[in-house]
Amino acid sequence: MAHSAFSLHELGVTFGLADRSVVAFRDVSLEAEAGQFIVLIGPSGCGKSTLLRTIGDLLPASLGLVSVFGTEPRSARMERKISFVFQDATLLPWRTVLQNVQLPLQVGGWRKTGRPNRSPEDMIALVGLSGRENAYPRELSGGQRQRVSIARALVTNPDILLMDEPFGALDEITRDRLNEELLRIWREIGTTIVFVTHGLSEAAFLGEKVVVMSANPGRIMQVVDLTERKPGNRIDRSSAEFFEIASELRTILHRAYGEA
Amino acid sequence: MVSSLKNWLWPVVGIVSLLVLWHAAVVVFQVKTFVAPSPLAVVAALWTNRWLLLNNLYPTALEAISGFALGNTVAVLLATLFIHSQTLRRMYFPAVVIFNTIPIIALSPILILIFGLTVTSKVIIAAIICLFPTLVNMIRGFEAVSASELELMRIMAASRREVFFRLRLPRSLPFLFSALRIASTTCVIGAIVSEWIGARDGIGVLIIQSTFEYRTEVLYASIVTSSALALTLFGIVALVEAAAVRWRTN
Repeated sequence: MAHSAFSLHELGVTFGLADRSVVAFRDVSLEAEAGQFIVLIGPSGCGKSTLLRTIGDLLPASLGLVSVFGTEPRSARMERKISFVFQDATLLPWRTVLQNVQLPLQVGGWRKTGRPNRSPEDMIALVGLSGRENAYPRELSGGQRQRVSIARALVTNPDILLMDEPFGALDEITRDRLNEELLRIWREIGTTIVFVTHGLSEAAFLGEKVVVMSANPGRIMQVVDLTERKPGNRIDRSSAEFFEIASELRTILHRAYGEA
Repeated sequence: MVSSLKNWLWPVVGIVSLLVLWHAAVVVFQVKTFVAPSPLAVVAALWTNRWLLLNNLYPTALEAISGFALGNTVAVLLATLFIHSQTLRRMYFPAVVIFNTIPIIALSPILILIFGLTVTSKVIIAAIICLFPTLVNMIRGFEAVSASELELMRIMAASRREVFFRLRLPRSLPFLFSALRIASTTCVIGAIVSEWIGARDGIGVLIIQSTFEYRTEVLYASIVTSSALALTLFGIVALVEAAAVRWRTN
């Protein structure tokens, strides 16, 4: 049995006050092993982004238990075990590529954590932006900016990387390429990734474990384990197996949307 | 080089055309010099009264620049306080707004009663006139951070201090500079208005004296001098801005 990356037990998040409260999701129980690539997919309003933020301690849980590497999310965050990639790259425009990637090492008491960091230059090379270290964000394309934000997330050598629809705003070809590169990076550094998307083929391509959620109220509908069907989490996008996985996910998603 | 020449050409042509129109009006309608001098008479007055003007420019510039520094510093500190304490903001921001409704011309005698005919009262007036636009702009600037930027700082376990210095402060710089541009010209107005109410020297005093003595060309020369001061301050702010917020321009 591999080490657990996170474990959710009957987790629920509710927004607002008692009489006018909105349930983001409830009764979510899920386990992830360290090093796994988990994809959360579902219609909007199913609480997938909220769930991601609860794991990262950006939002508090209302009910149930979350544990990230055996501790509360808050300790995991304060110990800098967690990194987050947002839908917009969220680069600071007054900092160069290199300075943006260095940011996580300059704040939040990084040195006191005693964690080994990765070299910012290496991370920029890993995301394929060598030579652009001194460029400013406005000089980069949308895809390049998102690469920088991935390099920034990896520089702290996180135990878990949370990604909230990171390629949602990009065109399809750029997204395909970045998906392939993300898998290459994941293999190279072996961190746990939780990836939120509403893209079906993205989910089928990336996930070792695809968690399908439905809305009203948000909850887990089905967990599809693909580890055996995608050995080494590798699959050819034009293979029959890929189409089979995608159409299976499609059927489940149709049910999830139907209930929404 | 060619494009910067083009940028300068049209404003210069515009201003020169207005001066020509002014001169023509004075000549055609045979306006007396004590009523309104021609631009040439003003230029002549600038030269003949150059020492008088410079001697009076010095205290005005000192008051304006000190007031600019004081008013904007207080504004930035207040804005910093207000974004960190919602309670303080709710307690004192309305008071600042009410204070801002007091006409500056009425505030001047109050300060002269307290501080006498010193430079201090003028500096404070110039500071007060700068304070409000900068305060409002700085609060907006400090709050011009996106939800995901704040989440990014949180996931990195950044302290409030780090959020302020690494995120809010650089974000607010464009807002600060647009406020400083306003303040660079209003601080001169503040200094001059306060000199009207009571002072021994300064461009404001010169304006009042030359008016009473019907030395209209000196009045106009004083106005040109105060405009030159305000434009110089504006230019300095613009230069510093270009160097400080280079990331914003393409």
